[in-house]
Amino acid sequence: MSKSNLTTPAEKQIRVERIFDAPRERVWKAMTDSKQLAQWWGRGHKLDVESNDVRPGGKWRFVEHGPDGKFGFSGTFKEVKAPEKLTLTFGFDGMPGKESINELRLEELSGGRTRMVATITFESRQDRDGMLKSGMQEGMDQSYAALDKLLAA
Amino acid sequence: MVQYSLDAAFGALSDATRRGILERLGGGDASITELAERFGMTLTGLKKHVAILEEAGLVATEKVGRVRTCRLGPRRLDDEATWIEQYRLMLEARLDRLGDYLARTKGKP
Repeated sequence: MSKSNLTTPAEKQIRVERIFDAPRERVWKAMTDSKQLAQWWGRGHKLDVESNDVRPGGKWRFVEHGPDGKFGFSGTFKEVKAPEKLTLTFGFDGMPGKESINELRLEELSGGRTRMVATITFESRQDRDGMLKSGMQEGMDQSYAALDKLLAA
Repeated sequence: MVQYSLDAAFGALSDATRRGILERLGGGDASITELAERFGMTLTGLKKHVAILEEAGLVATEKVGRVRTCRLGPRRLDDEATWIEQYRLMLEARLDRLGDYLARTKGKP
């Protein structure tokens, strides 16, 4: 099999929608207030909110204490429009160079409920450069060679 | 397909030595002894790190004679599709928790 054709990847995106049984102001506060974030963001693990400067250009950094160690997440707020829209960059210590842009929108629904639409875009140039550096091309060629073998068997 | 826990992978990646081991194995297989020397650790200490990486599926080991060789495991986190899928799972877990939190604190400001 020929070398994988590793060209500029297209934008990658995921979209997650949730309806919360709480008014929009409440959801916004739970998402932006450090004390409230510590109650849920760690997925049941202890969470240190090391910084949480909720304004455009402000930094955030959260450290989750998992069973096998601590892991840090951090980024920069891009757009802060209370209580309807929050855009931030999101990185994970364990995956340097892989950053995503997270856009969170809150929509008011009847009955005091709120719809959240999270759109996560994985698109940075860093991401691409990181992959090339980490020998992704070689890894892909190896995987494809293995797949060829499997299909031929 | 074997499913490895997301927390195991993140826990494994939370340590600088373990990230170093993965980086080293990205350049080729290595024995436990070689890795211990490279990272200035005892064999026992190094084996603990390798065990955590192995549990997360990030490293696979094989013993031939008296030498245990380590290589990158079946779970390749440098694969973009894997990263995106894990990200989605993590996000959903967080939003579940946010939903629980809001239900628990209903009526509060």
